Amino acid sequence: MFNNTLDSYAHYNNLKNINTFFKVIFAITTMLVSLISSSPVVPLLIALVMSFLIVSQAKIPWKFYLKFLALPFFFGLITFIFMAFFFGVGAHILDLGIFNLAVTEDGFNLGLLTFSRILAGFTCMAFLALTIPMTELFSELERLKIPQIVVELAMLMYRYIFIFLDEAINMYHAQETRLGYSSLPKSFKSMGMLGSNLFIRTWIRGEQAHIAMESRCYTGSLKTSKSPESLKNAGKRNLILLVLFELVLLFGVYLTSNFSFF
Amino acid sequence: MHIMEGFLPWEWCLLWYVISLPVVAYGVLQIKKITEKNPESKPLLAVSGAFVFVLSSLKLPSVTGSCSHPTGTGLGSVLFGPAVASVLGAIVLVFQALLLAHGGLSTLGANIFSMGIIGPLVAWLVYKGVQRVNGSTLLGVFLAAALANLMTYVTTAIQLSLAFPVPSFGVAFNNFMLIFAVTQIPLAIAEGLLTVVIFDYIMKLRPDILENLKVIGTKMKEKVGAVM
Repeated sequence: MFNNTLDSYAHYNNLKNINTFFKVIFAITTMLVSLISSSPVVPLLIALVMSFLIVSQAKIPWKFYLKFLALPFFFGLITFIFMAFFFGVGAHILDLGIFNLAVTEDGFNLGLLTFSRILAGFTCMAFLALTIPMTELFSELERLKIPQIVVELAMLMYRYIFIFLDEAINMYHAQETRLGYSSLPKSFKSMGMLGSNLFIRTWIRGEQAHIAMESRCYTGSLKTSKSPESLKNAGKRNLILLVLFELVLLFGVYLTSNFSFF
Repeated sequence: MHIMEGFLPWEWCLLWYVISLPVVAYGVLQIKKITEKNPESKPLLAVSGAFVFVLSSLKLPSVTGSCSHPTGTGLGSVLFGPAVASVLGAIVLVFQALLLAHGGLSTLGANIFSMGIIGPLVAWLVYKGVQRVNGSTLLGVFLAAALANLMTYVTTAIQLSLAFPVPSFGVAFNNFMLIFAVTQIPLAIAEGLLTVVIFDYIMKLRPDILENLKVIGTKMKEKVGAVM
């Protein structure tokens, strides 16, 4: 239900010390390439490469990674099946014989493409989420000219999410041990109490936070200690590899643009 | 319902980003104004955003047996108004994508549009509408939260069938709505009820917060105070 190990891996992985901006550009451009691909080949390739990088380079335990990937995988699979049956008007390639259900050619292709894009996009996002600590992502956001107030709100929110999750879990367990979730009406009552209590507590915390910040010379803006890294620190070799990798992928997109299984 | 990463073709990703960005930008301007006027509201907005995140990661007890998450946008919008709720919603969606793997970065624009813009807007309009005709506050909150949840899903269904109009927009829309109707209508009612219970407790325990936010009038506060 509550899972924050994702965040701890972001702080303790093997690729942590690589230039943050470089990692962001790598993940985002790869994601974009998979988006514009019109065949499932390149996205599937991207999913494999990204998974390889995450497991063998960043040294994220593969058990955790598989668990992380299970949700989008099954969702993608359901989408694939759904689209294969309902999203086609072309030739039938597999008749079930009941309810007039049949897998159609274009439905199958569309489903496979969507499935592969979900996997590719997801692995790219996993790369971002698992190798870059959130605090460093914030400093990258400032580089992208995102208004400072948004970055500050995001930073404060990030800090409080974990505190409130803790409190919510504590309250939830306390309620559960007192049979607060033994029936549906009780669940609603308990959940409502939890939510409202949490809101009131968050409110008090917010007021206290402001007092604490003000007593530490808060003048309306938060300063981060880490200034954004220059891309030059990433090293020439890495940059050339990045450009080459994306070009190869783009070439692959071009080559396989007319490819389909049926 | 979040649209998964990679689900939408790139043209649609771009379109929803283009539509959502001006609204979020307007919300940011609004927040800037508020925080410049009274700086103590900044940490309050932040903890409220965190609250929405935690609320949306709670499992909602549902009648059908399937568990799902409340969107939390209804409550946020009733408390802070749609412009601020849209910015908070956008930040929450980024966190959900990166911390929980719900939703995605390329589909962020589409998700902001359905969950961060349409949802809060509907909730706010409904709440204000019920207040205008002198309906009870709790009824307004229920309708606002339930309809915001429902409209979020309808918007998602429209977005999906626009992106995959196979064989035609209408048929695809019907398909998506059929799936959603079974699961989502009970969920919308569940979120409405839950929000009412939350709102009711807040009103009993700390009516001053709601009054400061101008959610309920001074009269309402006296009435609540008299009950206590």
